[in-house]
Amino acid sequence: MPDETGKQKPSIEQHLKACGVSRRGFLQLCSALMVTAPVGLALTQKGSVLQIAEAIGKAKRPSVVWLHFQDCTGCTETLLRTSAPDVAHLILDVISLDYHETLMAASGAQAEAALRQTIEDNAGKFVLVVEGAIPAKDDGVYMELGGRPGVQVLREVAGKAAAVIAIGSCASWGGVPSADPNPTGAVGVDSVVSGKPIVNLPGCPPNPYNLLAVVLEYVTMGKLPALDEFNRPKFAYDRVIHENCPRRAHFDAGRFAAAFGDEGHRKGWCLYKLGCKGPVTHAACATRHFNEIPGVWPIGVGTPCVGCTEKGVVWQMATFETVPIHLATPPETYPPIYSAAGRLQVGAAALVGAITGAVGGAAWVASQRFQSSAEAGVTRVAADIAYAEKLKGKPADKKED
Amino acid sequence: MPITRRELITGVAKVGLPAAVVVTVGKDVLKTEPIPVPNAAVGLLYDATICIGCKACVAACAEANNTPPDTRGDALHQAPSDLNDVTRNVIKLYRPDDGSAFSFVKRQCMHCLDPACAAGCPFQALHKDPETGVVSWTADKCIGCRYCTITCPFHIPRFQWAGFNPRVTKCEFCSHRLEKGLKPGCTSVCPTGAVIFGPRPVLLLEAKRRIQSSPGRYFQNRVYGELDNGGTQALYLSHVPFEKLGLPELGPESVPARTLRWQRRFYQYFALPALLYAGLVQVIRKSLKGHEQEAHEREKETGLRAQL
Amino acid sequence: MSSVATNADSYPSTGRWERAVPVYGFPLVNGFFLGLSALVLVAFVLTGYRELAGLGPVSGMNDAYGWGIWKTFNVMVLTALGSGAFAVGIAAWVFRRKRLHSLMRMALLTSFLAYACGLLLLGIDAGRPWNFYWIVFPWKWNMHSPLAEVAICMSIYAMIPLALENIPPLLERLWYFDSRLRPGVERMERRLYAGFPWIIAAAYLLPGMHQSSLGALMLLAGERVHPLWQSPWLPLLYLGAATFMSFGCVAGTTMLCCLVWKRAMDMDVLDDAAQITAWLIFGWLGLRLLDILFRGALLTAFRFDRFAGVFWLEMVLVGIGGWLLRRSLRDHDARLMFMGYVLSSAGGMIYRFSPTTLAFRPNPEALYFPATIEILVSLGFISLGILGFLVAVKRLAILPAPLHEWHDMASYFRFRRPYIRWTGYFKHGYFGENETEAENSD
Repeated sequence: MPDETGKQKPSIEQHLKACGVSRRGFLQLCSALMVTAPVGLALTQKGSVLQIAEAIGKAKRPSVVWLHFQDCTGCTETLLRTSAPDVAHLILDVISLDYHETLMAASGAQAEAALRQTIEDNAGKFVLVVEGAIPAKDDGVYMELGGRPGVQVLREVAGKAAAVIAIGSCASWGGVPSADPNPTGAVGVDSVVSGKPIVNLPGCPPNPYNLLAVVLEYVTMGKLPALDEFNRPKFAYDRVIHENCPRRAHFDAGRFAAAFGDEGHRKGWCLYKLGCKGPVTHAACATRHFNEIPGVWPIGVGTPCVGCTEKGVVWQMATFETVPIHLATPPETYPPIYSAAGRLQVGAAALVGAITGAVGGAAWVASQRFQSSAEAGVTRVAADIAYAEKLKGKPADKKED
Repeated sequence: MPITRRELITGVAKVGLPAAVVVTVGKDVLKTEPIPVPNAAVGLLYDATICIGCKACVAACAEANNTPPDTRGDALHQAPSDLNDVTRNVIKLYRPDDGSAFSFVKRQCMHCLDPACAAGCPFQALHKDPETGVVSWTADKCIGCRYCTITCPFHIPRFQWAGFNPRVTKCEFCSHRLEKGLKPGCTSVCPTGAVIFGPRPVLLLEAKRRIQSSPGRYFQNRVYGELDNGGTQALYLSHVPFEKLGLPELGPESVPARTLRWQRRFYQYFALPALLYAGLVQVIRKSLKGHEQEAHEREKETGLRAQL
Repeated sequence: MSSVATNADSYPSTGRWERAVPVYGFPLVNGFFLGLSALVLVAFVLTGYRELAGLGPVSGMNDAYGWGIWKTFNVMVLTALGSGAFAVGIAAWVFRRKRLHSLMRMALLTSFLAYACGLLLLGIDAGRPWNFYWIVFPWKWNMHSPLAEVAICMSIYAMIPLALENIPPLLERLWYFDSRLRPGVERMERRLYAGFPWIIAAAYLLPGMHQSSLGALMLLAGERVHPLWQSPWLPLLYLGAATFMSFGCVAGTTMLCCLVWKRAMDMDVLDDAAQITAWLIFGWLGLRLLDILFRGALLTAFRFDRFAGVFWLEMVLVGIGGWLLRRSLRDHDARLMFMGYVLSSAGGMIYRFSPTTLAFRPNPEALYFPATIEILVSLGFISLGILGFLVAVKRLAILPAPLHEWHDMASYFRFRRPYIRWTGYFKHGYFGENETEAENSD
């Protein structure tokens, strides 16, 4: 909302002071940001909380328009589950949330007017946050906002935005509504909007700090964080759950829970065999848990990850279906200095025995059939000599023709 | 008439005495030559006392060489039990039953100064680079005889047993990375610096410095590979006996020099075989003449064509 | 068959060996032949599978034992048995033991077949055989490598001197087969005989080189071969073993053939061969024991492990074989002679086999045992050799016999194959039974 006095908008720091937010609370927010997004976020590379605070403090409150489509409002809910500091309050002050159907007071024609006014006044400068999938089938008749198809509304609003943030799996790639058979043709924002920088923050719901970090980066540094090939910010989505999972040691040691409630499950062993999709799911849940309570995240409470950020995993693969490990890493066991090789096949041994026996037996039998030449030989040799003499007597052998 | 004993003995003496004289007199000439160290010999120094067994080097080696991880064990982990056709580098654990000191050991090609694998390879598929000393394998020349797997005293080259285009796999110091000025994969990721890369003389100095500064820490206060097997380019420091880690006691002479000495001398310039051949031809000529004469006589006697 | 009465027909009679005569009166294709052919076919099929699937699935070879029975048995052991051309040849041509000339054709044939099968298996055993073409470029050879020496020398030997030495029986057959071929045959024979000194000398030099290099192969394995076998004298001991083994093979095979095909045995020749073999055996035994003594490895022979067991088995077999040979000379007993040859050859075979497998310890946890397919392929190619032997011995003049055997053969064919005369195509018929005195060229 524009400032009442019509003057230049105050910086965030000034605004916070005006709203009575203590400096301590503000610094707590900044240190929380340092923890949540240490790598890949230019904002938090500053090095110290004070430097981050300074950077944010100088920024101006950006205008944010938040649209809902085929959603469950879970992504809004997740934003409200931050408690220290009171981020709900801060977000409404750090950013200027100019349109949010769930949180705003207006409705009906007033709401639509407010939307139109906002996008006109802040054209090219506001950030559009989209929650929920967009039904694109049949020219988008399956969801209408104020009588107009959602697709149309999105295109119009996004056309005037500076950047689009698609929060939640639904807005990122279609989410729940896009599960088979996808009767409404639900798709993500990047299938509808083109020509604008889009940041996908998949998750069902995503961690609220993902959104906060992206927005603050944009506000203070003027650019979006480094994105991967699916337009997901790398600081939160470049690693799979498996890589940072606190139960990884159990995986590496081969300790798996085989059934819910069994000994391994109760001891907190790896949930891979129960169908944990951690190895194929890109998200940061393993390091940043939910509701700001340590250990409150699916694997932490003993339920295997379902892969809620990944298209093709959640709502496509069976919950208890095991995933292949693409990035195999060494286990906790070590090979010995000398490892076994080769084995004795019984059939081959029998064959060798048979052949040796046969050959040996044949040799023995053959040898027995020889007889001492002393016994048999003398007369024969004499006969041969006689024959040779016979040959010498005649010039050539007589052969009939 | 068959050779008489006298003829035999005089014949042997005629050849044997001069040969014996030559060998005794020329003994110094026939001594083994020292093994040359390549100019730009690279190497790696592995200190088993610092290694924590994290196996980052195993994963890094697979990545640097673009080989798939070896998941043949349990389909879940990259768990090779030994070097094999997809594993060029492996970490093994020596843990004695009696509870005395255990040690990890990193096994990969030692890049010997006089490699037995290259000495035995029939068509020089295994070749030691004269500059860097890296022993590498060329697919175009290999006939897959697997002699290298037998001659290597460290049992490093491994043959690919499945498939119709088998390869021989062993560490080649990531020569494709060395060309770009990078270090081998394993040495780039070691978190504790247990394995480091550098020119061999530099590494030797470093190893000796460590031995000197911590006397009693290292087994026999020596670095394995300085002289072992004639010298290797992969050097080892350990606190447990080298033999327990699978590094055999080979002595200062390289395997080929020690075992093929007489073989090499016999066939030098092919002189001895040629001499023997000339002698044989003369003897056989004489025998043939006598044999042919007798055959012709028999032909006349029996009326049947001679069988030579 | 023969025109002179024999005392009994369960053992071979004796007679002077004057001529090599083909085996007649026994059909070539009998049950044994068909059985061997079946084995050969099985081996060919399995070889095709090996070429496609690689060496791992078809054999028991593994990372620790890189060489299986194809190299260590069919090449190392069987070519030792097939060194008859070398050993018997040297005795006959260099040391001029005239009597052994009658065994020469048998020796040459067995050698050629043993080497042919050995080389075929060498090619099958090689993992990347398409690179064998490097053999044609001598500057690419690694002359320090014993294996290069073995492969190259064996190939040259089998393809040139040994093959050429085996041609005379073929030429002879052609000479008798058709008189129109005679001028060509005689020209070839003259050329061949002109080169004989060079060919025969090569036929002694080359096996001497590669049989000893077969021993040198395991020198590079160093300490991994048990000290009872590993020795700098390994090449010489391998060569020595080849000599007495091949004598055993040639003389033993000849005795066996005479037994099976009811030929007379010439005990003078066989006695001579047995004497030489006995000397070779005792010389070899002495050399081996001296070598072990001087290296200080004798004590390891008295431990209770499998290495000592194999060692004593070898020595006992060879020793008893040699002793039996001497006894047979004294007692004129062909039975003892045959057993002597068999036992000494068996001992020699185990000796040549040991350093690569039985006495080879690369890794205390590893073992090697040939897989079934490996054994069948090996067996199949041995059968191929035996088949070749049967064909040659029954179609060419190889097996020595008294002179009357030749005439008996001629009579046999005159009566059994009269059509040869009717057609008139083969002007002089089968092995000259239709020759008249006038046409007998001399």
